[in-house]
Amino acid sequence: MPDKTDEMIVEEVQRGDTQAFGELVSRYEEKIMRYAGKFLSEIDDRKDVVQEAFIKAYANIQGFDAKRRFSPWIYRIAHNEFVNALAKKSKIPTISFDPDLLFPHPVAAETADGNAARREMREMLDMHLANISPKYREPLVLYYFEDMDYSHIAEVLEIPVSTVGVRLNRGKAILKELMHAHA
Amino acid sequence: MHNEQEKKSLREYVLGVIERGEVKMRPKWHFAFRAALYATGGIVLLLILIYLVSFIAFVLRQTGVLFEPSFGSRGWFAFFGSLPWILVLLSAAFIVILEILVRRYAFAYRRPLLYTALAIILIAIAGGTLVSQTRLHGRLFQYAREDRLPVPFAGRMYRGFGGQRFMDIHRGAILKMGEGGFVLDDVRGGTSSIAVSPMTRMPPDGPLSAGESVIIFGEREGEIIRAFGVRRIGSEENEIFRVRMR
Repeated sequence: MPDKTDEMIVEEVQRGDTQAFGELVSRYEEKIMRYAGKFLSEIDDRKDVVQEAFIKAYANIQGFDAKRRFSPWIYRIAHNEFVNALAKKSKIPTISFDPDLLFPHPVAAETADGNAARREMREMLDMHLANISPKYREPLVLYYFEDMDYSHIAEVLEIPVSTVGVRLNRGKAILKELMHAHA
Repeated sequence: MHNEQEKKSLREYVLGVIERGEVKMRPKWHFAFRAALYATGGIVLLLILIYLVSFIAFVLRQTGVLFEPSFGSRGWFAFFGSLPWILVLLSAAFIVILEILVRRYAFAYRRPLLYTALAIILIAIAGGTLVSQTRLHGRLFQYAREDRLPVPFAGRMYRGFGGQRFMDIHRGAILKMGEGGFVLDDVRGGTSSIAVSPMTRMPPDGPLSAGESVIIFGEREGEIIRAFGVRRIGSEENEIFRVRMR
């Protein structure tokens, strides 16, 4: 089904074609596994959590509005699964108040990083990812590894677009500090 | 090769779980029902919040506390001291619950929290002000005083908040003008002597006369109330909120 959009396939699944769901799994498995890899260290955990995310997506697929984009929706489910898995492991409270969400911020313009700059940023991120708090790690991973734009990231994390810009800028600043500290 | 194998196995695993019936697709009505439940919950919470805000407005007018800020900084100080803080905190709690409820919707999470919180507060104040312009609370208060409210808790609430007396705010009609003050027929059915001095803040719109409804801000000393300020109550305010306390 190479010429069909994700949303067209979702409509087929919603009409009862369970095999079509396999196509969605194939399209997103690699991306979601990579996304999981940035949060969950152990490979078995990662696979279990990703499987669970796809099973949850299937169970809830009738609740998806096919007029919207499928990609943020499946990433959102995966994101929730990762957060729950991390909370179970480390007993970190998942409900926390973030003052960044309270006030409006000027929307930072999306910078068009060149390929070399992006590659360099990815390498830096890979080295220091574990030292960055999840609050900044998530937008950085979605932006640099999943190639999502601000609005896409905002949909996945369910935060304002302006907050995505703020977190990305702070995340980059933290990353640079870490680089200097380890240089 | 390994990647291809892994890919196949995850896809097959998920499809296997589906085919064996270990996971069921939730029907569309489940999501429609849940959405309706959230929307209904949100509307009910908003209506309760509007009711609470309108009740606060009623209590403030009924007790005369609403008029205290018109007597300057001393009035503002007394106003904050006399606010029904339990009701204010309860309203704040409803605002927080409503905020949590609406954050699950894209129209809310796409905007800063401050915007949605302000929108809820504005809707509550606008709705509460509208409701407070009706005779609803005045009638309910009257029923509560006559023990005719079917809900016992509501009766206690209306009598408790609406019937509060404050030491420094007095409401009633001028019975008789006299030397150095006037006699007030207060809303509780008693009379009080009001002492006016050159320091008293009198209404700027002309001298007072018998029969007018007024609010007096000042402390009682025995039978006499030493007026710090006097304010006329408009006929409309008086008509809507005048509930005698006899």
